[in-house]
Amino acid sequence: MKVSNVRSLLVYVTLLIGAVISLFPFYWAAIAATNESGKVFAKPPVLLPGGMLFENIANLNEAIGIGRVMFNSLFVVVIYTALSLIICTMAGYAFAKFRFKGRDILFGMFLLSMMVPYHALVIPLFKMMAAWGWLNTYQALILPNLAYPFGIFLMRQNMLAVPDAMMEAGRIDGVNEWGLFTRIILPSVKPALAATAIFLFMFQWNSFLWPLIAVQTKEMYTLPVALSSLFGLSRIDYGQVMAGVTLATGPIIIFFLLLQRHFISGMLGSAVKG
Amino acid sequence: MLKVSKLLTLLLIVSVVLAACGGNNENEGTNTGAGGAADEKVELTAWAWNVNVGALNSAMELYKKDHPNVELKVEDIGRLDVYDKLSTGLAAGGAGLPDIVLVEDDRIQGYLEAFPKGFVNLSEKGFDNKADSFPAFKKELASKDGQFYAFPFDAGPTGMFYRTDIFEQAGVNPETITTWDEFIAAGKTIKEKTGAQAVPIDKFKDDALFRMMLNQQGVYYFDKEGKIDFNNPQVVKAMETIKAMGDADLVKDVNGWDGTVSATIDGTVATVPFGAWYYGTIIDQAKDASGKWGVFQLPAFEKGGNRASNLGGSSWMIPSESKNADAAYAFAEYFATTDEVQLIAMEQHGLFPSLQTVYESELFQNDVEFFSGQKIWKLFSEEMKDIPTPYYTKDYALALDEAVKAQADTFNGKNPADALKEAAQRLADRTKREINQ
Repeated sequence: MKVSNVRSLLVYVTLLIGAVISLFPFYWAAIAATNESGKVFAKPPVLLPGGMLFENIANLNEAIGIGRVMFNSLFVVVIYTALSLIICTMAGYAFAKFRFKGRDILFGMFLLSMMVPYHALVIPLFKMMAAWGWLNTYQALILPNLAYPFGIFLMRQNMLAVPDAMMEAGRIDGVNEWGLFTRIILPSVKPALAATAIFLFMFQWNSFLWPLIAVQTKEMYTLPVALSSLFGLSRIDYGQVMAGVTLATGPIIIFFLLLQRHFISGMLGSAVKG
Repeated sequence: MLKVSKLLTLLLIVSVVLAACGGNNENEGTNTGAGGAADEKVELTAWAWNVNVGALNSAMELYKKDHPNVELKVEDIGRLDVYDKLSTGLAAGGAGLPDIVLVEDDRIQGYLEAFPKGFVNLSEKGFDNKADSFPAFKKELASKDGQFYAFPFDAGPTGMFYRTDIFEQAGVNPETITTWDEFIAAGKTIKEKTGAQAVPIDKFKDDALFRMMLNQQGVYYFDKEGKIDFNNPQVVKAMETIKAMGDADLVKDVNGWDGTVSATIDGTVATVPFGAWYYGTIIDQAKDASGKWGVFQLPAFEKGGNRASNLGGSSWMIPSESKNADAAYAFAEYFATTDEVQLIAMEQHGLFPSLQTVYESELFQNDVEFFSGQKIWKLFSEEMKDIPTPYYTKDYALALDEAVKAQADTFNGKNPADALKEAAQRLADRTKREINQ
């Protein structure tokens, strides 16, 4: 009894320390967002909220137009995540469960494309978008990474684990191909879907280089691009920056919390029960 | 089946929405023609960062009084982000570039070498006549082979920003500091009496003070012919001086820009050597330190030696692909050479002009309240004419990298001359340039 008490106390203390260490930067950013710029450098550090939150947000809004920028980011990320999830799931299904000529070579090429540094793709991609007149449009932000190799890989691996016997049973019961996919495969890989969705969401939400290059006017900026525009050579309003950073973290946390339950069971591995 | 049709509906909605959003970009092709004509409507586009955006917009308000047909749309882009966009656009043959772009002086030569046809030759449009109002080093940085490719704009004449209260407490009079040796002696006194170190240096990641010392002596990473100049005795002398400060425990090791600002504010260093633009940082981040700051020029390497140096500064360039090159030239020339514009840039946006004709004006002769009434702008403006030209070349980034390594080696105990010699060799391997022995 006593031993296990001590043990669980130790576990909790360790977890508590871990939680404080990982949460402190967020707390500090949020606090800095409520204070004036110079307080970021104060010694000892300022750890209590100040009264500047609304002023910082007002300044931020004046500098980058937070409503528009937030809308751009959310719009792009929601459409992207939905479309890309559909594509990755279907492609993963094809790679996992269908036999066709050149399947393994094709899949190998997809995996290899993950090794090409992103910077090498930027100029050809930019030329393509310019030639189609797509610079500064939402489709230039959304379309290029829809077939995301890692997402396809993740879905394929999880679908491999679904026994063929389940699909055969479905076929015998007269389910057609669409039904197999939507009613048998998809429900058994729910956790992987959640994990992939979170991954795609984070990838697009944090995406910086491509939006920076593809977008031409302020009205089309996404959050990371707009936040980066706050940095000049020598004059930075840290209160403003921290207010922006805090606002930018919100949607990711909300999205993660919504899918958290599935995500964790996805990480715990094998998805098929019973 | 229900799910399939839901899915298809979603796809349909998405594609309709995407198609609807495609309409955003259609105003691009409308600005054709020379654009110089008086009544033809022109919309210029520009890329700039931070306070420069405000300066451009203020200038356009003035410009429009005589040129009501010209509009300007400035995109506010992060300083380093501008280069990612500019390089991509130039590499893609000029697609998506603006009519006017702000480029820092240390990057201009790199762009001109990498993209010789990428920018409008301003001399061909008549800029040579106007250029005499700029100091020599700015002119040299804005041109290649005697032809101008950039309109000189702001500069960063350097100074030692110092804490008057710490100097007073230690009983040191800044006016008695005229050489680096005297500076080190004063630094020791200050350290002893107040505990404050002399200067902040990011020992292992940045060499700003080293570059100021090189520029001050009329040398740089490269000489005028583009040969590596790390073994020049004056370059070695600069590194030795920095080492001497380190040995006397006068250097506070700071982490990056934020670390430097932090040390500036908390009083752990007595001086901060930087460009005139650091004024803006101090008044922004240390609002309650009014009356505690002063400026003196960099100490010289020998009695009576040069104390003028520059750090930072930028200029305007016009990409060749601009469809409104004439209108862009007219506006940028107006911006660069009009006193009224430069005064606004200075007064409202804190950008120190390189247009020398404005130094006569009241603003540059006035007392600066935050600096206890010191005439700091007069000090900086008088420095401009004596600043030697730093030779950056297109390999500046590599040279900077090697110089920082040499500085790190020095702080780790290596002899400065040896550290620089090795850095020179590495730089030669990377750039295929000759080394001056």
